[in-house]
Amino acid sequence: MALTLNEKLLLAALYEKGNGTPEDLGKIINRDKDAVIQYGYLLEDRGLCQVTREVAVSYVRTLEGEHYIKDGLPERQLYESFDNSIPVAELNNNPLSRIGIGWMKRLGWIAIQNGIITKTGDAPRSHIEAALNNPSSKDPKTVQELIKRGLITSEESISYTIVITPDGEKKAKAGLDLREEVGTLTSDQISSGEWKNLPLRRYDITKRPRPLYPGKTHPYQHLIDEMRRILLDMGFTELYGSVIQSGFWNFDALFQPQDHPAREMQDTFHLAGTMPLPDGWEAIQAMHENGGNTSSTGWGGVWDPEKARATVLRTHTTSLSIQYLVSHKTPPVKAFGIGRVYRREAIDPTHTPEFEQLEGIVMDEGVTFRHLMGYLSEFYHRMGFENVRFRPGYFPYTEPSVEPEVYVDGLGWVELGGAGIFREEVTAPWGVTCPVLAWGLGVSRVAMLKMGLLDLRELYQSDIDWIRKTPTHSGREKKDGGEC
Amino acid sequence: MPIISLPYSYLERLTGADRDTIITRLPMMGSDIERILEDQIDVEFFPCRPDLFSTEGVARAMQGFLGLKTGEEQFVVSQSDVRFTVDPNLADIRPFIGSAVIKGISLDNEAILSLMGVQEALHWVVGRGRAKVAIGVHDLDQVRPPFRYYGALKSRSFVPLDFEEEMTLEEICSVHPKGRMYAYIVEDKPLMPLIEDADGNVLSFPPIINGELTRVTEKTRNIILDVTGTDLRAVTTAVQILCTTLISAGGSCEQVSIDGVTWPDLSPTERTVSVSECNALLGLDLSASKIAQILQRMRFFAEPKGDDLVYVRVPCYRSDIMHDWDIFEDVCIGYGYENISVELPPTATIGQEHPVMKIATTVRGIMAGMGFCEVMPFTLTNERVMYDKMQRPRNSKSLRMLHPISEEQTIIRTDLLPVLMEMLQMNKRRELPQQIFVTGDVVEGEVTYQKVAGVSIHSGADFSHAYAAADALMRELGLEYEVQESDDDAFIPGRRASVFVSGTMAGVFGEIHPAVLNAFDLDQPVAAVELDLRVLEN
Repeated sequence: MALTLNEKLLLAALYEKGNGTPEDLGKIINRDKDAVIQYGYLLEDRGLCQVTREVAVSYVRTLEGEHYIKDGLPERQLYESFDNSIPVAELNNNPLSRIGIGWMKRLGWIAIQNGIITKTGDAPRSHIEAALNNPSSKDPKTVQELIKRGLITSEESISYTIVITPDGEKKAKAGLDLREEVGTLTSDQISSGEWKNLPLRRYDITKRPRPLYPGKTHPYQHLIDEMRRILLDMGFTELYGSVIQSGFWNFDALFQPQDHPAREMQDTFHLAGTMPLPDGWEAIQAMHENGGNTSSTGWGGVWDPEKARATVLRTHTTSLSIQYLVSHKTPPVKAFGIGRVYRREAIDPTHTPEFEQLEGIVMDEGVTFRHLMGYLSEFYHRMGFENVRFRPGYFPYTEPSVEPEVYVDGLGWVELGGAGIFREEVTAPWGVTCPVLAWGLGVSRVAMLKMGLLDLRELYQSDIDWIRKTPTHSGREKKDGGEC
Repeated sequence: MPIISLPYSYLERLTGADRDTIITRLPMMGSDIERILEDQIDVEFFPCRPDLFSTEGVARAMQGFLGLKTGEEQFVVSQSDVRFTVDPNLADIRPFIGSAVIKGISLDNEAILSLMGVQEALHWVVGRGRAKVAIGVHDLDQVRPPFRYYGALKSRSFVPLDFEEEMTLEEICSVHPKGRMYAYIVEDKPLMPLIEDADGNVLSFPPIINGELTRVTEKTRNIILDVTGTDLRAVTTAVQILCTTLISAGGSCEQVSIDGVTWPDLSPTERTVSVSECNALLGLDLSASKIAQILQRMRFFAEPKGDDLVYVRVPCYRSDIMHDWDIFEDVCIGYGYENISVELPPTATIGQEHPVMKIATTVRGIMAGMGFCEVMPFTLTNERVMYDKMQRPRNSKSLRMLHPISEEQTIIRTDLLPVLMEMLQMNKRRELPQQIFVTGDVVEGEVTYQKVAGVSIHSGADFSHAYAAADALMRELGLEYEVQESDDDAFIPGRRASVFVSGTMAGVFGEIHPAVLNAFDLDQPVAAVELDLRVLEN
């Protein structure tokens, strides 16, 4: 195939200069350096030039490193913090002592005897200090030390040199046609017919284009929308409500005992102020204390309305389900919601203080535990989990309870949510007489399984590159549907 | 949930089945297997079943589940003359105490470990970390009844467990490792709970530590329990579980009189449950005799009373049986969850999206169509990000958590733009241009509602860009709008505007102020728009 104009221009420039960097060659032919590298490689493929790529490492100080440039390294600051000698115990009060004492000793600035630190001399500038000022790969050991101490990071820079080959010289000597080729056609060229006489540039289809990143919904939202669609298809009404709830709706109405540890400040985010109790709260009190008019014994003890007035960030979306049920007592009720819930947990790869929960309820005449399992199977099958099994479970507000598990290749049976029939202690106070099937599911857990995610934080503190590169659709898949 | 270690040899001996059978059936009895080790299996049981916190308890349930031994276990309690007196001064400190004597046990190492395991789990689950219930197990032969549970002065001293010298109660609270963990439960009280014998020897300083004198060893043959607490029902539960565990381990139980009340009460409670109610709940068609047969396997005593009733005696250790449905769950577990064929009911309903979610979906489509990429940041944030860095006044309607988990997350967001700015900061090293948006909950006062915000960062991101995006968003949402010069200091003066719909301010757009860019460590211009989605509500 013939050389493109750009390749010919570069070859002509190389013929003139013999060799050059992409920057210099780019100036001659008026192209940017990335383009020159690309043409260089194309010429190299034809044996007309040779591209050499070199990686050079340079070092950049971290914020902490910059900080120490100003104030001195911890060992230096510590060294200057006392006169000739000081007891170790006293120096330990200095926050820098944990790093500093060891280093002073390693550098021979101090001696420690009988718990007393004594200066040995006037602490000459150390190799570490010198290297921090001017980190250089000439002293790899010290540089590694600085990297380990988090004071500098290494950055790679890449440089290129392009050299013409004898074949390239021969080709250039034979003469190159440097007439401008046409790239993008203009409106004039198209309508006037001029296009018939123009040399149109050929593009290299073996090179992938520069990626184009479309705007899109978040991959996690995509999964949430998939779940929403499944439940809407199954005839459920969607719920949405406040993230701020009273202890009453979040816990008491769900028969969570008032001394349950999950209610404490340790596990639940509490907010200032109190919230009112709804009409009929006395029935909840009776239920907790003695089981009201049911066959339940209740939890016993004294139920404190003050505790129920506490304002909390909802710990589960069940607080919405129960309120929906209280205001929709006529069967059938089928409702679901997906929303953020909050637990007081420190952020790490598998825990975040807020995450999405899916919640579904079915209230109708004659629905049973068997039907609950039916809904769960249907939902998980539609989510693409073919094998579902059920194991006994425990949740304070359901009886019987069940833990659905799905089979995942490579992981085995994975617990995916919890379900059960609302206890009579939950439904009776509001006069709900039909059974209420209920289930909940941690949506982020499904995301981890379906998206192969190892770190939950990626969902919320997303790297834009990850969003850009995560496909919207998962490729070829089996289609089931109303084919005609 | 507590993790219980079950040694195979002890479990196999007590159950009468081999380990493989047991391991296969455990999950269907309601246990999560944590890990399978060489000589033991570590499992998790639900907090509502403290009777399964010991090898003895698991073996008892497993025997029934496998059909090796069914029906209720008999717990005989014989007479003794051990007495306790309780000091009325403890009424406001730690009023309740339960006890029992267990004789003739030989505790080998496995049984002692099992006993310590059940004690630990009970402290945690029933005892709420010893605050509600604390347990002491003592070698009865080292002390002499009657015993006295009373409020002692902090200067009283004895030799606590694991120590060789006497310490005062005050010293124990501040120096002893257990004291440092549990002193908070009683240390503000004027008197400390203490149990001593007829000769003034200290058995226990509940809820903190036992005395060294009554330490339980492999040589111990006779035991006395002390279970103290603030809730009588929880104290009773703990005593019942400990006694039944120790009886299953081979001991015989004897009564203790506490101020004239006899402990322990190991008698079952009675319930008569309805067959039709059970079948209606589970969706099964079981006869009264089948239900009784299953319940026998779950270690209840059960017999049919006619066609629709089953008489059930609930063992004292089943503190989780509060309601007839709790019995039905046991019927279900005994029947086997894996044996239930699933079914969808014919309930016909029509699905309905929530209007707020419908709007959010539409907005996502519009923003994505304009080339914005969605992000889903946390709703928890802090005032520095939300207001200070944005050069905006702090919002008095923002909600602050009483005990935040970190300084980064102290309030719930009231706006979305600041969290987008933070996202740009996190992605500073990623290829430009970047266009991101978020739609989601914000909270003001106690009101949760939704907003949408979008930002563009690149060399050409200016006011015109922001205006064009805001204009397109409003047009696509079908909203007529007016604009007015804004005074929002997050933006550059003269390059900012408020959006009004029917006279109500609904949003803002413009070019972010360079001081704000500096605060978020950004070095390219940012065009931004934010809209309150309540504007779409009628």
